[in-house]
Amino acid sequence: MTEPILKVNSVTKCFGGLTAVDDVSFSVEKGEIVGLIGPNGAGKTTLFNVISGYYAPTKGSVVFQGNDISGKPPYHLAGVGIGRTFQVVKPFAGLSVLENVTIASFLKHPKKADAERHAWQVLETTGLADRAHLSAAGLTLAGRKRLEISKALALDPSFLLLDEVVAGLNPTEADRTVELIMKLKAQGLTILIVEHIMRVIMNISDRLVVLNFGKKIAEGTPAEVSSDPHVVQAYFGEEAA
Amino acid sequence: MKTSRGAAILAIITAALLILPLVVHDTFVLRVLTEGIMWIGLAIAFDVIAGYTGYLNFGHGAFFGIGAYTIGILMMQAHLPFWVALPLGGLAAALTALIAGIPTLRLKGAYFAIATWALSRAIQQLALNVEFTGGPDGMRLEAFLNPLFFYYLMLITVGVIFLILWYLLERAPFGLKLKAIREDEEGAKALGLNPTMLKMQSFILSAIPTGILGGIYAYWITFIDPSSTLGDLVSDQAVVMVVFGGMGTLFGPALGAILIFAFKTIFWAYLSDFQLLYLIILGALIAISVIFIPNGLWGTLVKRKAVARPQQKPEPASEPAALSAVAVPEEGN
Repeated sequence: MTEPILKVNSVTKCFGGLTAVDDVSFSVEKGEIVGLIGPNGAGKTTLFNVISGYYAPTKGSVVFQGNDISGKPPYHLAGVGIGRTFQVVKPFAGLSVLENVTIASFLKHPKKADAERHAWQVLETTGLADRAHLSAAGLTLAGRKRLEISKALALDPSFLLLDEVVAGLNPTEADRTVELIMKLKAQGLTILIVEHIMRVIMNISDRLVVLNFGKKIAEGTPAEVSSDPHVVQAYFGEEAA
Repeated sequence: MKTSRGAAILAIITAALLILPLVVHDTFVLRVLTEGIMWIGLAIAFDVIAGYTGYLNFGHGAFFGIGAYTIGILMMQAHLPFWVALPLGGLAAALTALIAGIPTLRLKGAYFAIATWALSRAIQQLALNVEFTGGPDGMRLEAFLNPLFFYYLMLITVGVIFLILWYLLERAPFGLKLKAIREDEEGAKALGLNPTMLKMQSFILSAIPTGILGGIYAYWITFIDPSSTLGDLVSDQAVVMVVFGGMGTLFGPALGAILIFAFKTIFWAYLSDFQLLYLIILGALIAISVIFIPNGLWGTLVKRKAVARPQQKPEPASEPAALSAVAVPEEGN
């Protein structure tokens, strides 16, 4: 196998006395979709924030394409090919959908006309083109989640971090988003995804990493993980296990 | 169509302003016009940091005062010619922004406003207490009494400032990047934007023209003192002009500057016994603008128009246009 695109080496992140992520290691191979799951408060989003540069790890390191990126600021990571979405969506509410995506396009297309053209293409892919001139504040939740993906995609990333882009959508919207994610995988994008909806995460992930109380408790294919006693215990309690 | 009509209107206004002094010989009128143009410049410069970047700078007046004092000191004490001193006034304001920006740009919202206000008070106190500014007595500059010269100098300077800012903020990517910072700093980081850098650039871009205008003002009025150039009024008026005109639109603040300055002139000409009322009205106007026209005059006008005329999508140069035509049924919004 080739060198993994992302390597998380014993990452620990503490906030004061609280250890949110505790000595977690795993890697992501090029072209795969890896699902990061775990009960509420397991440390998934914290780990995302460490990988995307919002937090520096307390211990351990994150290696992306062979380079140590631990502690590098998010805007630097966007430049090397890491795109991310936010669980609590962060649209530029006062700007139009097109402007939102154009801003992200500036990274690879410094000229405004090129960036706008690129933004249109991204919006066509994500199905927001018909709402391009709407204010981002006027979008539905589904629309705003789509906008998050559009902005991350406009960076032309090689690695995408998706934080709960399906949660909160109705089944039709969810299916459209899953379809989009599969399309991105087909285009060669590597994806690390946090998701609560099991139906979705089990179907799209090549591998799963399971966190509980900040620790990695299991890793493997969806089938392996779902029969792992530790995982069952984490989700359903002692007796079920 | 819209832009070409806008350009035509601007061209007419510019032409009118250029030939006006040939028709109007009254020095008082010329003086009022010169000051009005200066306020347009101050308002649009303020809009860079306050409107586009979302950092309400209540110390804008400090840049103006520092520009004015730099020119005063350089001309009267170092005996530099005006044209050498003027750009140094802009540079002094830029340096002030750089130094003041490092601590204050970490703050947000009201905290930034309070910190910048306090800083401008501190600078005023400094000017009152040190020797080389002349303290409370102020400073007299060599008089160069040529109203026409100052009218044209102000007009051209503000015209150039307007063009540069318009290009950077409305045509180049820089303006959109600043707006991204204004809307969501954390979100902007994930898109490759460095907020610290952009905010600093914006603060300096706002300071330079303000310092230059302060320098022209000093040479024109020939007398500066801490209360006229470093007082609250410069900041306060800039805030009202921009909030009332429409933040982050460049044209709005220019419109706001014209209206507020006209009001001020009329008020002081006819109601000078009630000067205290002027500040009260100014304060009330901020409150009223924020509550009833949060987008300002210009923002409200532009929005009305946008609603009346449905937005059409400019055809992108490549094939995806066809795709959307198939995939997307007509939607009224």
